[in-house]
Amino acid sequence: MENTEININIVNTIGDVYAVEAEDGQKVFDLIKKVFDEKRNVVLNFINVEIMTSAFLNTAIGQLYKDFSEDFIRDNLKVENISNSGKIILKRVVDTAKMFYNDPNTFERLQKSIDDILNE
Amino acid sequence: MTNFTDINNTFESYQKIINFYHEHKDKNFDNISIELQNWFAANMCAALGAILDLFTEQLNFISFNKIAKTIEQVLQKNDFLTYYGKKKEIDSNNTTIKFQKLTPEDGKYFNSYVINELINRSELPKMSIAVKEKIVEAIYEIFVNAQIHSETKNIYTCGQFFPKKNKIEFTIADTGIGFKNKINKKFNRSLNATDAIKWAVEDKHTTKDVSGGIGLALLKEFIILNKGKIQIISNDGFYEFGHEGESIKLFSAEFPGTIVNLEFCTNDNDSYLLKSEIDNNDIF
Repeated sequence: MENTEININIVNTIGDVYAVEAEDGQKVFDLIKKVFDEKRNVVLNFINVEIMTSAFLNTAIGQLYKDFSEDFIRDNLKVENISNSGKIILKRVVDTAKMFYNDPNTFERLQKSIDDILNE
Repeated sequence: MTNFTDINNTFESYQKIINFYHEHKDKNFDNISIELQNWFAANMCAALGAILDLFTEQLNFISFNKIAKTIEQVLQKNDFLTYYGKKKEIDSNNTTIKFQKLTPEDGKYFNSYVINELINRSELPKMSIAVKEKIVEAIYEIFVNAQIHSETKNIYTCGQFFPKKNKIEFTIADTGIGFKNKINKKFNRSLNATDAIKWAVEDKHTTKDVSGGIGLALLKEFIILNKGKIQIISNDGFYEFGHEGESIKLFSAEFPGTIVNLEFCTNDNDSYLLKSEIDNNDIF
């Protein structure tokens, strides 16, 4: 029988206990996307991950909000064995990604924040 | 001969390094000799090393002619002077964090460097596991920023422990395009260097096509709690942020890239956890 729930082990995917580089995050993202495209669930296992950066989590997970809805991600993605400090960064990454991809005018909004500084 | 006297992590010291760059930047096949006197903060090797590399790329010969004995010992122990023909020395005090030159693709080497120089060192000042983890996380955020944004050929890192002061200084320098050019190119605007840095350290401000802009904001939050300090020197902009507030100044000329200098307190017992734990089901 085929699995509907796919386990992705971070350390095994990136070959390191330091989940820090954006490029490594991309490897994780590519796997999750493949599973989601097949309408299956992902359990992302952070066991043995020692350090995480926002750059890694942005590409690994934040990017998902570009291709999938918040509801779909909530229903189909679970995390396991993530450290409390990692969870704090992940939550920030997720909240930022929702805002970024929900707003069709993100570029203009960021440009305006620059204009606000220029006009100070 | 350029004489560096009393180089600390101050605006004036960075200005001296910038002046040194502009004095020699157009030279080719020349000799550039340096004198180091009184004090040279070891972590500043990252900034000086970045500039010296630009000179050696133009086939200039670098020589350290006169160095105060105490400075020489430290810069031999942290490997900096071994890049310029001096002998390596063993660090019996164990207070140096080695000078390292990496390419942006060398992320895995940077991992081993961080493990050897910071994580696995038993002789480090006593630090809680939480603060050590936050310091390493902060250093990675800055390294990854240089990797992704700076368009540099090399990244230079160096640090120093101050056991009596309970402090760590760590510096990451690059010779890339700098904050200002990156932001202005992306958004077709003309921020000056200090405004560009101010913009970049705000939460959710990013030049990437994917969401982000959290790293520097997280770092600022940690710096406040840890009572540490961050200095960003990018192009002609100087930005300093600490628990006492921020300071912004312009240099009289540009640094050819970016320097990020981090200062952390090691005797910090904060747990760095939220008051209420985040439920795994509430993340997405």
